[in-house]
Amino acid sequence: MLIGISLISFFIMHLAPGDITSNEAAFNPKASEESRQKLREMYNLDKPVIVQYALWLKRMAALDFGNSFASHQKPVFWGKIDNDGNLTKGMIQEALPITLLINVLGLLITLSLAIPLGIIAARKHTEWQDTSITLFNFIGFSIPGFWLSLILMYWLGVVNNWLPISGIHSLDYESLSTFGKVKDTLSHLIMPVIIPSVTGLAGITLFIKNGMLDVLQQDYITTARAKGLNESRVVYTHALRNALLPLITIVGLSIPGLIGGSVIAETIFAIPGMGKLFYDAVLMRDFPVVMGVLTIGAALTLIGNLIADIAYAWADPRVRRGVARS
Amino acid sequence: MYFGKITCKCHLWLFILLLSFNSTACIKSTDKTEAKDYSLKYPTADGGTMISSMSAEPSSLIYMVAGESASAAIASNLFNSLLKYNQNLDLEGELVDHWDISADQKTITFTLKPGLKWADDKPLTSADVLYTWEAVTNPKTASPYASDYALVKKAEAPDPLTFRVTYDQAYAPALDSWAGLQILPKHLLDGQDLHTTAFARKPVGSNYYQLIDWKHGENITLSRNPKSVLGQANIEKLVTRIIPDNSAQFLELMADNIDSMGLDPIKYSRIIPARPGLQKKLNLYKELGNSYTYLGFNLKHKPFDDVRVRKAINYAIDKQEIIDGVYLGLGINIASPFKPGTRWSHPTLKPYPYDPVKAKELLKEAGFADSDGDGTLDKDGKPFRFEIITNNGNKEREKAAIFIQRRLKSVGIDVSIRSIEWASFISRFIKTGDFDVVILGWGLGLDPDQFNIWHSSQQAPGQFNFIGYNNPAVDKLLEQGRTELNPEKRMRIYHEFAEVLLEDSPVVYLSAGYGLTAMHKRIQGIIDPIPPAGVGYDSHKWYIPAPLRRNEISTN
Repeated sequence: MLIGISLISFFIMHLAPGDITSNEAAFNPKASEESRQKLREMYNLDKPVIVQYALWLKRMAALDFGNSFASHQKPVFWGKIDNDGNLTKGMIQEALPITLLINVLGLLITLSLAIPLGIIAARKHTEWQDTSITLFNFIGFSIPGFWLSLILMYWLGVVNNWLPISGIHSLDYESLSTFGKVKDTLSHLIMPVIIPSVTGLAGITLFIKNGMLDVLQQDYITTARAKGLNESRVVYTHALRNALLPLITIVGLSIPGLIGGSVIAETIFAIPGMGKLFYDAVLMRDFPVVMGVLTIGAALTLIGNLIADIAYAWADPRVRRGVARS
Repeated sequence: MYFGKITCKCHLWLFILLLSFNSTACIKSTDKTEAKDYSLKYPTADGGTMISSMSAEPSSLIYMVAGESASAAIASNLFNSLLKYNQNLDLEGELVDHWDISADQKTITFTLKPGLKWADDKPLTSADVLYTWEAVTNPKTASPYASDYALVKKAEAPDPLTFRVTYDQAYAPALDSWAGLQILPKHLLDGQDLHTTAFARKPVGSNYYQLIDWKHGENITLSRNPKSVLGQANIEKLVTRIIPDNSAQFLELMADNIDSMGLDPIKYSRIIPARPGLQKKLNLYKELGNSYTYLGFNLKHKPFDDVRVRKAINYAIDKQEIIDGVYLGLGINIASPFKPGTRWSHPTLKPYPYDPVKAKELLKEAGFADSDGDGTLDKDGKPFRFEIITNNGNKEREKAAIFIQRRLKSVGIDVSIRSIEWASFISRFIKTGDFDVVILGWGLGLDPDQFNIWHSSQQAPGQFNFIGYNNPAVDKLLEQGRTELNPEKRMRIYHEFAEVLLEDSPVVYLSAGYGLTAMHKRIQGIIDPIPPAGVGYDSHKWYIPAPLRRNEISTN
């Protein structure tokens, strides 16, 4: 599976015209073609693609993701120590934690808003609460994220000076106390976390609402009501558990997104995360970084799917029995 | 139902507000900047922090290897070159006291200033210069700019203060090239690979500043180098924040979190003038840019091999309209490919005026007529139709293409426009010569040599005469210009070159845009009026008066 993914992504990347020597900085009459050729030889880009792939696979067998072309040969994945004891951190090692933090926080906020909203919408189906939640979600879904970001940056950062505008740390971050550092980082994260969660709310709310509607019409809910349970017990104890099952799938599916990050949000908020790393690498034709991000993304996605499947089996006895039978 | 929608929305706003109030309590609030009067002038002061921004992070601070402008912007504060351009763009010594050119113009002897030191207190000598030359020309180093230095036949450092280079033949751009080579410390780099060395991330230089902190993807902090070979700068710290998005940069500028940024014409002439609050805080600077935009013909494709067609298109394009419409008037018309106002720029040469009647005449002469009455000219049964390509992401070029499309339509030429991602654009179209007409830009270097752009020998794939320009007269002038070291004679050569080029019209000069900068008024001591060398010249003399400094940073 991993090999298949790497094969496809390697060839797609190499099919795109251009390589590391065709970036804008190299388009300078003072930069000679000979030096670009030298660079291509240095990175084996003059060899046939199949040879390049073999070289890449050989390195991958030793779990060596190689060094970036475009960023002074920084290690792609994890830090390396050179002969003089200088540690150079890996690009993915630096970018991944930031992206994960933002996206996990975002997902938590989305879920903590979407679940109550979805339940309300299902319980008050076709009443005004349902309609207004749908309308709100629709508005949130339709507003372009980058536009909302800029407006909020202007309002919260320029007009009112309540929140920092961009970046993830203040310039005096180092001199703050531990508590101050956490506060500083959180205040920088508010906008980049909340804006995508609001715009991403619609899908999950609808999912919960529909799941809830399905469950509420099932026989065992009627039974529960018939035996005289009060409505909140019916909804929260009996119905909600079953309605939440599909959520495992959604969260499992969103794992690639958690790792990938968002180019637009990261660019606007000046966050050095995975989205920006990958986007820049594609534009620069920085093959080792592109391949590193894709491979690690694919591996983590596979792991995520596995965990989702296991979680499903743990949460749903029917799935467990199905596995046991086969 | 209507009511419900409102409450729901309000909850969200409240939620956001609550969060923001929570956090603001602990962010150190910036002092109320409105209280400060930035229009007051103060005497020169020592200290302070200047914060600027850039959109891309340098890959390495060894400019000769990194090659990108972000690297140059930071590295130029850290390293010195042998020579530099003074404020009138004449060369003078930076690390060297004086230099001598031999009678046959092939040998240049540089004499270094005595007592130069690196930031780590080791002496800076001609051995470092020799090492830098060797490192750049080393076949293992793939420096994009190595070709200038590879022409040196022999380089030697006979004593610690003397560095001598000998060329095969006189090479006029040599001095310019020595103004561009940042000297690296041999004692820290000898035996290392410039492509991988950790020095590129924690360099030791000799200029006004030294690197003290580099937070990847966030900011780069420089502070004064007490051993600086050029004396001491006024401002204590330079912080460069990496903010990729231009709008976000501008918001930071508005919120007083950064002190300077490059502007586009809309911000310069529309947004800032409309806001008195910003005008109070910011000084705006306008200087002639170092590049021009052009429309280039593929001279190997018909009918662009016909000079009448090229001239017709040149006449048919209204350049002033492009300058007004695309650059909001912040650009100038040029007639030679040199920076206006410098000696190389031809003083009397005039660009092609907008003259659609003449354009039609020339097209008729070249055999084009609208024989089928469809509004588009044709010749030999084929309509005159071509595609302008440019790189996407450059809005100015894309907009200029639209103006050109309309003007050419009115003389009967059917133009379509395509914009393409940079790497594909270069490798798929420019390198292969698979294009009709292109809109691109060239930088205007301070040395007039443009051999690589116009000489007929420079047409191989990947070289820069990709439009296929081939004129023996121009070839000869370019060769002469390269070997003539006398500035007066050299100037005449390039004036003649510009005349021939304009007559041949292998490209249509569209505009040389102004460089636009906003600078916070707390930065004082900027030379006024701006010298030919630009607003950034002599930035070590800038200062930030103590009453105008930010509170939050100065405690650091």
